[in-house]
Amino acid sequence: MLLFVAKRLLLAIPTLWAVLTLVFVLVRVVPGDPTIVILGDQASPAARAALRERLGLDRPLIVQYGEFMGQIVQGDLGRSLVTNRPITTDVWAVLPFTIELTLAALFIGVAVGVPLGVAAAQRRDGFVDWFARLFSLAGLSFPAFVSGILLLIAFAVQLRWFPVISTANAADPLDRIRALVLPAVNLGLIMVAYVTRVTRSGMLKALGEDYIRTARAKGMPHATVVWRHALRNVLVPIVTVVGLYLGVLIGNAVVTEIVFNRPGLGKLIVTALNQRDYALLQGLMVVSAFAIVVANILTDLTYGLVDPRVKTQ
Amino acid sequence: MTRHLAAFTAALFLSAAPAALAQTTLNVGMAAADVGQLDPHRATTTQDKPVVAWIFNGLVRFAPGSASLEGLEPDLAEKWESSPDKLTWTFTLRKGVKFHGNWGELTADDVVFSLRRAGDSKSSSFAADYAAFESIEAVDASTVRIKLKQAIPSLLGLVTNYHGGNIVSRKAVEALGADFRLKPVGTGPFSFTEYKPNESITLAAHKGYFRGAPKIDRIVYRFIPADSARDLAFTSGELDLIYGRQDQKWAERFKKEPGVVVDVLRPSELSVIHLNTTMKPLDDKRVRQAIAHAINRPQMVAFKGELTADLPSSVVPNGYLGTDDKAPLLAYDVAKAKALLKEAGLEGGVTVKSVQTSLPTMLNSMQIVQSQLKQAGVDLQLEVVDHQTFHANIRKNLSGVTYYSAARFPIADVYLTQFFHSSSIVQTPTAVTNFSHCKVADAEITAARSEPDPVKQKALWKTAQTKIIEEVCAVPLFEQLQVWAHKTNLDFGYKLTDAIHLGPVITELTTKK
Amino acid sequence: MSAAAPVSLAAPSAWSRATRSGGLIIGLVLVVALVAVAALAPWVAPYDPDAQDVVNRLGDPSAAHWFGTDEFGRDVLSRVIWGARISLFVGFVATMAGVVIGTVIGIVSGYYGGWIDRVITACTDVLLSFPQLIMGLILVAVLGPNLQNLILAIAVTAVPAFVRVARGSTLAMKERDFVDACRALGYGDLRIMFLHVLPNILDEVVVMASLWLATAIRTESTLAFIGLGVPPPTATWGGIVREGFDNLLDAPWMSVFPSLAILAVMIALNLIGDGLRDATDPRAPQ
Repeated sequence: MLLFVAKRLLLAIPTLWAVLTLVFVLVRVVPGDPTIVILGDQASPAARAALRERLGLDRPLIVQYGEFMGQIVQGDLGRSLVTNRPITTDVWAVLPFTIELTLAALFIGVAVGVPLGVAAAQRRDGFVDWFARLFSLAGLSFPAFVSGILLLIAFAVQLRWFPVISTANAADPLDRIRALVLPAVNLGLIMVAYVTRVTRSGMLKALGEDYIRTARAKGMPHATVVWRHALRNVLVPIVTVVGLYLGVLIGNAVVTEIVFNRPGLGKLIVTALNQRDYALLQGLMVVSAFAIVVANILTDLTYGLVDPRVKTQ
Repeated sequence: MTRHLAAFTAALFLSAAPAALAQTTLNVGMAAADVGQLDPHRATTTQDKPVVAWIFNGLVRFAPGSASLEGLEPDLAEKWESSPDKLTWTFTLRKGVKFHGNWGELTADDVVFSLRRAGDSKSSSFAADYAAFESIEAVDASTVRIKLKQAIPSLLGLVTNYHGGNIVSRKAVEALGADFRLKPVGTGPFSFTEYKPNESITLAAHKGYFRGAPKIDRIVYRFIPADSARDLAFTSGELDLIYGRQDQKWAERFKKEPGVVVDVLRPSELSVIHLNTTMKPLDDKRVRQAIAHAINRPQMVAFKGELTADLPSSVVPNGYLGTDDKAPLLAYDVAKAKALLKEAGLEGGVTVKSVQTSLPTMLNSMQIVQSQLKQAGVDLQLEVVDHQTFHANIRKNLSGVTYYSAARFPIADVYLTQFFHSSSIVQTPTAVTNFSHCKVADAEITAARSEPDPVKQKALWKTAQTKIIEEVCAVPLFEQLQVWAHKTNLDFGYKLTDAIHLGPVITELTTKK
Repeated sequence: MSAAAPVSLAAPSAWSRATRSGGLIIGLVLVVALVAVAALAPWVAPYDPDAQDVVNRLGDPSAAHWFGTDEFGRDVLSRVIWGARISLFVGFVATMAGVVIGTVIGIVSGYYGGWIDRVITACTDVLLSFPQLIMGLILVAVLGPNLQNLILAIAVTAVPAFVRVARGSTLAMKERDFVDACRALGYGDLRIMFLHVLPNILDEVVVMASLWLATAIRTESTLAFIGLGVPPPTATWGGIVREGFDNLLDAPWMSVFPSLAILAVMIALNLIGDGLRDATDPRAPQ
């Protein structure tokens, strides 16, 4: 298994390289440059040109590219063009928030989605089934910024259970959890929808399989049949969906981060793009791409765990 | 340098520690994703200017809550005198004024350094304002002398706590270099302590402030771009002061809410569409006239809300020194607009292109313009791009109709020069924000700048405005007032009517119960 | 839908199984109704969707304006009706592109394995290493915000997701006995992949697709929220939701009604998706 992980990480290197090159090229094709943010909209063209020179943006692209790659190889993400802060500092400042939000959303997705999907599959077209299907569809239909505000109105302003500003840099763990709940629910809603759907459809299929009928015929308790045997077969698609969304969540969290005022990787990426902070954007993409690679490896490892029939190549 | 910084932050933390128990924190919510910058000689945006005003002082200052040049009062200078020809000005500095942290005491050297820095386009966006300065010298440690090449409308205006007039610490600027942008050091009531990207700026009371220690211990200035989220945080009590929505419904809603005061502040920002006179079909004056006649300003104001918007009176904002409040703006007349288009051979309709930012408030204004122009057969195509692309592309001469909303120093010269003088045309070495390529009023704008007689000067400015309107370089739409709201437990300590810094000033007298 | 061919091949009684619970019928009726409304927008919409009315800004839902009015006094119902045209188009085209291209590539990748799989997986990994929204945001910023580019940006984010799902399911399927049996019978690869593997993984693909359509419509809205959408005054559901967001506390219906429209599409598609799933699933309960 260690060998597998090492091999996958090694294979990820070309992926990361391709991602970085793509980012490097794409952000430079977009019009505008960081001097408007750094100098404001009333600075003279001469001052802008001088700044571009100081930042090294006037050099040939190939030179900038070489330098950037050289830095990355040495494990140095460089400094933000706009704030001149080391990018690693900014990443470390937001990473815990991103990880805790992603994991919490994932947890909600699985903890709510799987039981809901299983329950729905057992009484097909029954009340639970219809509720589960509608609920999960509603979760997908309202854009995260609308559902976020609705959650805030209900639970932060009316009931006052949670704060509106979920910054929570307080060392107090209770405060931190309070600040995490609403954003996690908001981000988790989409996870719940996907997991419920996949579980339900997988369970329906599994419950129709011969071995389940055999198990039932043998008089095995209903719960054992459902949770042990049928669910086992649904784990592969669930893991696929969860793995897929682990990566997607990091970027999609940006809307939730904006509405709930949480720091996070997604928000930082969008700001870097908006400010044309090439260095910061590149650095952040390294981090987010790496996180996704790790998520993919975990997904593939989990396949082997949940379904012995899938060999870990 | 790092050691210096460490000492600086350590000192801040140490001084803050004993008071940690009974701290009053003022929580402010701003409608922006992030700070632009806090270097006062560069800061121009709505999210930056209020903070700069809490950190810095000028030689003189606008009385808190006022935007009037007549009400200027002593700030870092305790007195000043001018020669009879108004060409030599001598300022005597207040003694014992301390910079934030360990950056020492203010001397004449800092003032000279700051004003020279403000006049240098390499370090300042307001260099052009200081073109008439011949020399700035320190006579002794507490006396500064400014010599002018020619008399100017308001020298005091240039040494206020506004734009280039803000006094920075020479040592700090030299030690911090490019980092000064986000680590400003001034003499004001609040000192900068922390910046978290996309999140907040934290300021601490400057205990050694020369007017006395501020009553508020800490200001947390949060960047909350989503209007609804900011409103909710204000309603739930997590924010004490917020930047509002420039919208009638918004103002009405919060006026009804108990414990809330809505502050509608002047000076306003003038929203203008600049018509590119070098681009087809706008190079035909009749097309530009047709557009001007198709704009219905009263309806524009009605859309924006009577509480939060005013009718403009010229191509220069209301209330500036030199604004022609009876300028001959073209009247709303759709029939005439259509006739003009027909005359230009475009009776089948005409398409004009506009590069437009995706920022909602600006985009919304353009949607109203789009709808009004449609009545006259002008199809305004909006090419909506993100805000940086917008700024880049309008400066590359890619936009036919450019929407720009701005407030400048309240003297007509600044606005006229930046938007309508040929030296400011985009894509030239001296470019500022002349998007229309207007050059009909160069002579008057230049002459007015050095005209010693105030009456003649005003006449020159009036002629300039008339010519610009006649040429239809730009069409004013409406004047946008600044809208804020605060909780009644917040007492600014002065009467808030105007906000030259685009937001309320927080002074040493401001309290929060 | 691409499911049609295998349906008739796989099971003759598919129709009766699919319509067992009536879901498919309801779903089809809903979709036809929505498409009809979109197609007949000029006749169905009570007002010009772009006509501004300063007197009726942010009006409550009323007899004259069932869905209320927006900040320009435009009739929200009319905008939702006109918006259906663009949004359904964006959703269908982007999703179908993702489904067809993604599924084919995914099956090929999973079935053949080896270097083909490795190359495809590598490309998918590169695309998936961009957070989906960020990818869309950058693409639209580079290409410029218009309808085609939005569709392209959304489709590009959909393809790798379907590759992953199809590949994962194919991998699991490949280990099953029936694939070996097919090989033993000397069936060609293409035949095994598209006549035997595809019908067996189709349920997961269809489920994903029915969810992705809403994701596509929502993505348009989210892109407008953090960056760029279809230029005004064109009405799209995503655009209306986004504009409504700014006025959420004064006029919540502006965001809620188009969201409900998205929900209606979702329900319809999922009913159809479930019906098709039943029809394509040879082991579905009798």
